[in-house]
Amino acid sequence: MRLRALILKEWAELFRIKMVLYGCLFLPLFMAGMAGFLVWQGRNLPPEAQAPLFNAALLYFLILPVMIPVTLAVYSVVGEKEQGTLEPLLATPLSDLELFLGKSLVAVIPALLLTWAVFGLFLLAVSFLLPGGIPEGVLGLPWLLSLFGLSPLMALFAALVAMLISSRASDSRAAYQFAGLAVVPALVPILIYSVRLTAVDLRFVILEGGALLALNAALLYLGIRAFRREDILIRWK
Amino acid sequence: MIQVLGLTRRYGPRVAVEDLRFEVRPGEVLGLLGPNGAGKTTTVRLLAGLLAPSAGDALVAGHSVARAPEKVRPRVGVVPENPGFYKRLTVRRNLRFFAELYGVRDPRRVEEALARVGLEERAEEPVATLSKGLRQRLALARALVHDPPVLLLDEPTSGLDPEAAKEVRDLLAELSLAHRAILLCTHNLAEAERLCHRIAVLKTRLVAVGSPAELKQRLFGRRVVVTLANPRPGLDRALDLPFVRSAALDGNRLFVALEAPERHNPILVRRLVELGAEILFVAEEERTLEEVYLELVEGGDAA
Repeated sequence: MRLRALILKEWAELFRIKMVLYGCLFLPLFMAGMAGFLVWQGRNLPPEAQAPLFNAALLYFLILPVMIPVTLAVYSVVGEKEQGTLEPLLATPLSDLELFLGKSLVAVIPALLLTWAVFGLFLLAVSFLLPGGIPEGVLGLPWLLSLFGLSPLMALFAALVAMLISSRASDSRAAYQFAGLAVVPALVPILIYSVRLTAVDLRFVILEGGALLALNAALLYLGIRAFRREDILIRWK
Repeated sequence: MIQVLGLTRRYGPRVAVEDLRFEVRPGEVLGLLGPNGAGKTTTVRLLAGLLAPSAGDALVAGHSVARAPEKVRPRVGVVPENPGFYKRLTVRRNLRFFAELYGVRDPRRVEEALARVGLEERAEEPVATLSKGLRQRLALARALVHDPPVLLLDEPTSGLDPEAAKEVRDLLAELSLAHRAILLCTHNLAEAERLCHRIAVLKTRLVAVGSPAELKQRLFGRRVVVTLANPRPGLDRALDLPFVRSAALDGNRLFVALEAPERHNPILVRRLVELGAEILFVAEEERTLEEVYLELVEGGDAA
């Protein structure tokens, strides 16, 4: 119940800021547009030549779940500090795990929903734009698993790193400065994909998923350990 | 309800509070007074389970703040110095959020808390539109929404205009009628005297605890002021009654320290008349809490 209350409150507060709302909508639409444009450029190529373009376009949908959570999560703790709401929040029975996980999910869930929604739009557009529709064999299990299995783990990873920075930062500007770093580790699998465009196999996806799962568990543990209520209350004036 | 057992908190080498020992009983309002930096906010945070003690412990609603702060937090309502609300959200949404964190499932409790502080008509307005006084009232509603047995209030009227401060004080007076233990940190001595059953004066250590009347008596004793029509030099020295601790003539007023004015005043008056004094008035000297406070804070240990 507390986790749910925290998530709903955060969304209510976050999306009341029009710039955040528009920002969250613009980035996925822009990325989907870029991906669609990339694929559209190869519309006259034979289907086997379209496959690498299609693979490259799909990478945009792996970047999105990493980028959106960072922008949402980085303000979460530092924002509470700035508003002076952290003390009453910490005075409630909310545990560190609930606080950390709840605020991460606040960033992860919209990122995933938006990514998947624009991915659906992309597929719809591509099936209309390309005369032959989606090239056969491109949208295989490894890619689908990457989009629906790895994306949540990557989004969580980015959100947890951003949260870690947010809880340790003494100023929102400093938090934003460091938040860019949250994207870098999550981009590693994307970089690997980009050089292995034709060889995104199931084994690699599962291996990556396992590594991200372990990393996320470690980050969550670290985040909770590093979230020192006392330090935050005492240092933040 | 609150038992403070040698509570100590250090921030590095600096001692914020040291060896605090006092209790707050159910239905009692204890005023915590002290100069800035005396450790009042630290004490509230320790008792709210927000800070861990460096030494000692406190039992709040039966749970140790040192060993089980997670059990303390649901049983305490806190009004911090800065009320801290989500300004973009409405009054009702803010309160509902905190109510849910405290495990309150019944939405009627939120409405009751709003009605109790008189904010039901502003419930759909963003907190950003509320005045400071109304935010303090909302903070009280938040502290009450889960019906805790213990309330910790850190300067709830600080920075409010007299009217808003009075509204908050009236509300606190109402709350003290219920069987809650209330710890009230304040700089406002008149507020403390009006609302608190007992006063604790803090200056890193506890300087004194007692009811305002007890503290006055402990510090200054009881004195009677006799206003004379014909002040005669030497009259103070001529007062040879066994219960008179001291007597001093100042202009036409004779100050007489004695143990029990209720019993001794008639004898005193009779003796003064025998000595030729013409008495205009006899009254007990009124000491203010401010005098007590200043004496304790500037004078030192009286506990």
